[in-house]
This record gives sequence, C-alpha cells and structure tokens, in this order.
Amino acid sequence: MYHSFEVDRVEHRLWLSTSQQGYRLHLRDQVIAPVAFTHHSESSGILTIAGESEPVRFAIDGDLIHLHIRGRTRIVRYNDPLRALTSSNDETRPLIARAPMPGTVVATTVSPGQSVSAGMALMMIESMKLETIIRSPQDGIVDRIHVKEGESFERDAVLVTLSEEGR
Amino acid sequence: MADLAIPISGRTPVASYLDIAQIIAAAREANAGALHPGYGLLSESAEFARAVIEAGITFIGPAPVAIELMGDKIRARNFVQRNGFPVLPCAIEEDDPTTFVARAHAVGFPLLVKPTLGGGGKGMRIVRDPNSLEAAIEQARSEVRRYFGDGRLYVERYLEIPRHIEVQVLGDAFGNLVHLFERECSVQRRFQKIIEETPSPALSPELRTRICEAAVGIARAAQYQNAGTVEFILSEGDFYFLEMNTRLQVEHPVTEMVTDVDLIAEQIYAAAGCKLAFSQSDIASNGHAIELRLYAEAPERGYVPTTGKVLLLEYPDGVRIDSGIMRGQDITPAFDPMLAKIIAHAPSRIEAALQAHRAVRELVLLGCETNASLLARVLADEAFLSGQFHTGYLEENPHLAADNFATGLSAFLASAALLTRPVRASADAVPELHAALGSWRN
Repeated sequence: MYHSFEVDRVEHRLWLSTSQQGYRLHLRDQVIAPVAFTHHSESSGILTIAGESEPVRFAIDGDLIHLHIRGRTRIVRYNDPLRALTSSNDETRPLIARAPMPGTVVATTVSPGQSVSAGMALMMIESMKLETIIRSPQDGIVDRIHVKEGESFERDAVLVTLSEEGR
Repeated sequence: MADLAIPISGRTPVASYLDIAQIIAAAREANAGALHPGYGLLSESAEFARAVIEAGITFIGPAPVAIELMGDKIRARNFVQRNGFPVLPCAIEEDDPTTFVARAHAVGFPLLVKPTLGGGGKGMRIVRDPNSLEAAIEQARSEVRRYFGDGRLYVERYLEIPRHIEVQVLGDAFGNLVHLFERECSVQRRFQKIIEETPSPALSPELRTRICEAAVGIARAAQYQNAGTVEFILSEGDFYFLEMNTRLQVEHPVTEMVTDVDLIAEQIYAAAGCKLAFSQSDIASNGHAIELRLYAEAPERGYVPTTGKVLLLEYPDGVRIDSGIMRGQDITPAFDPMLAKIIAHAPSRIEAALQAHRAVRELVLLGCETNASLLARVLADEAFLSGQFHTGYLEENPHLAADNFATGLSAFLASAALLTRPVRASADAVPELHAALGSWRN
C-alpha cells in the first residue's frame, strides 16, 4: 500500500520495502535503493540514498516534517490515511475564501445575504504592514463572515463562506 | 545580550512599543541614564525624544529639532534644496490641495506617490499611467492615514533604473561631522531592502567622494549630531536627495565591518557629550561587506509573510549574525518579518558574495518558511555578481523568487518516508520476499 506525502501542495505517492542494506524507496515508476537514515541527534542525521550521503537537519511537528538538505529547506506533509478518509467525503462543501497569509481584518466590504460575483472584493486584510484584498472565488451569496474587523487569523483560515445562488 | 528586561504591555504588541509614558516609566524603573530608541517604532519620533529628555534621561540620537526637520519629508526636501543640494521635481499636496492632481500631472510620468510622514514603503506607489493617478492617490492616502494617522501626500518624479545609495554620517556636539562611506541598498522588494553592501559597485571613486561630501554637507546644514543616514537615488551618474533617517539603520553592520567603527558605541559617546575620537582622514573602508536580511516570508507566493514556530535554529560559522529569534519562539504577524541578519566581510566583493552564499545555505531554520533560498539565488545570479542591478531588479527577474521544488525532491521524500514511523512499519511488516516481487500487492 502506498503512502501519501505532499511538498508545496503537490502530492507524491511512495512506499518503502525492506532490502538487505536498509530500504528501497518506490517512487512513481522508479525504485531508489538502498535508502537508509542514521540518526546523529534528535534533529540531525545522515541520509544514504543511492550511494550518496546527505547530512539532514529535521524537525517533526505533527504531520509536518521540516527538512534541511544541501542548503534547501522543505516542509513535507504526511497525509495520514485516517484523516484523508474523514475529509474527502464532503460533496456539500460550501464555497469559501481562505486567508493566503496570517493577519488581521482591516475592513469587510460585503455583508451576509449579499450576492457577489467572481473577483469582487470581500474584505481587506493586513499582515506585517502589507495590505491584501480578499476576492470572491466565484459567483454566489455571502453566507457568513467568519472573522470580524480587527480580529486576527492564521494562514488558510476560512474568512468568508459563500453559498451558490438559487440553492 | 540584555542583562535586564522589563515587560511593557498594550492593546496590541505594536501599541505597547508606541506607548511613550510606559517606556519612560520602564527606563526610570531601571535607573537608566540614557535611552537608545533602536530602529522602527518611536526611533524617529521627535515627541518621544523630547519626552525622554524632559524626563532627565539622555536620548541616544540627534536633537529633537533635527528629527522634526528630517521626519517631515517635504520640509526636509525643501531644506535640502534651499541649501543647494539636488532633489527630484515634485508636487506637494498641502501647498494647495485643490490643484494637487493637476500639479502632479505637470511633474510628468512616471511618478511616485509618497506619504509626508512614515517609511517602510508604506503608501508608496509608482504611477506610469496618467489615468490611474487619482486612484493611486486615494489608495495611498487610506493606507497612510491608518498607519501614521496622517494622510498628507506628495508626488515625486520616478526615475527608471534607479539605485538606492545611502551615506552613513556621524556627528558630535562640537560640530564635528564625518561620513563613513556609502551603502548600496538596491536589492529590494516592495520598497524594502533585502541585501545591502558596501562599497557600492555603482560608484566611481570620484562619484563616491561627491555623494559622501553631499551627505556631510546636508547633515552639517541641519547641525546634525549623532548617527544618521542620508539616502540618495542614483540614476545615470546623477544623484538626488531622497530623505534622511535620523536613527541607526538596520543595515549599519556593513559599515561597521569595513570601517571597524562600532556605530552604537559612537552613538553613546556622542550622546554622552564626547568629542569624536577620529577625523574624516582617519576613516578607511577595508574590503567588502554584504548583509542579508532573513525574512519570514515566501518569495514564491508574492513575498507573503509566513508564521510558525522556530523548531530548529543553527547559525553558520565565519560570518556575523545579528538576530532576534531563538529556538522555540513563535513567529507571529505582529511585527516586521525580519528574523535575522547575516553579515559577510571579505577582501573583495566576489569573495564576500561567496561567503554570504555559503552562510545562507548553511543556516538552518526549521518551522517557519523564510526567504533564504531567494537570497542564495540572488547571490549566485549573474546580474547581482556583475553589480548591474537597480531597485526594480527582483521585480524584473521573477525567476529569482520561484523555488524549484523538483530539485533534490527524492532526497526530501526519502528522508520524510524514513522519518515517518507508519511508513517504515508497513515496510517492516512485509517479508522481504514479497517486497522483492514488486508492487503487485497494490
């Protein structure tokens, strides 16, 4: 069975199998072997991959694996299969406008019940001295505004929920 | 670094640092004889400097009257022009608000809309299309009013291919004024600096002398004391006064590295009434220094701010690091995105760039996305290395902001897989023989 990981919002399916010197990495249609990881401390180790040794710095935070290899930093998300099952089955999912960055609501330009068209400004947010306008992802009716003016939110937070017209 | 910390509080984190009474009370509680305002927040507030002085505490910075003169960009510009130094053509709203738009059109396009008060690029807009001028003015005004409580604007002629060159000056209470050479700050995004260096690769020795002498002349006309920075815009061999910052700059370390002058110590000596211990001819610039600003932001997503928690932090050797973060700290959107500064110093520009490049790749910060990979790409970019760049450099080279996630991907995925227990466990559960048969089980 494969496991699902995500890098920069792109899914990668892979699995490991055992071999005499560690593991084989099955990635799409390629097999990389041997692969092994030797821990040096709680945050560092050496990755052996196809005969190369790469020093790795890492930190694990829930499903997020933060890695630093050869001057590059990546966040790899492990998609836990149990969690994937609970969130995939939502056909009635409403249209939502999410926060592209953490910040504070400066002003809301629409109110619940108002019909909006795609690209219309819903609210203005501010983060680290930078203002951004949140626009409607498509046509619809404003269902709910989740964050009031002056309140702050994290990245990916739901800011405005829309419902489809005539529903 | 600090041997005493006193908490201050406010409705928002920023508000607490703008609370003059509370800060002075904290200084009194600590029995402080002098107060250094740092940079940002109240560091360029004449009202704050006055309040500190009235409280009987020495203010480590220029006289309040100099802060006032230079803090109002329009007064500063007019002052500099009256004293015979070059400024850009402009139109000032408050001269006659009813004709502001017409006068702005008369200056000619492209234009830069700027706030009278404030800084940090807030409210600044380049207008190339005359039809969008009025909309740009209104947008800038609303932004500026909210940030600085003052919506006054002016427009200035915008120069294409401009370089941002600034000169460090230092003065004492006896009228002695010196410059400590220039800093090149043209690598910017959204009018905020990312990489600064000295010497500037854009200046000939002759132009360097002229721009540094102009800076000293402007500071002298303002009877300036303590450390300050005169900013210029350089275009096609001509330079124009932009503004003067009446405080220490974020990028002051590059000057310290090449001149071997500790600017903060000099600020304290000057505030204590000491005479400058050196004259202009004693100051030499040795080698080349480059500063990188490590920001909590994602260049590949339009430089949006990022947040997180510092899970792992390891600094590289062989460079100077000025930092405000520690492991375990939350990175919040409350203040500026700057996390740390990496300062390289080497005999030549190319060696300093190589040293900075190595350092930014060796720096490990996990838990919050940063601009480290952008910095590394700029330091390896031909235009940067050749010295041929200007303030629009990053905007014109969007490929520098884009990260290639395919590079080294299998090493990242292999590490992630090997560090995830369920992935290893399912491999270990399958006998080797079955695994050797391949993926038929799927």
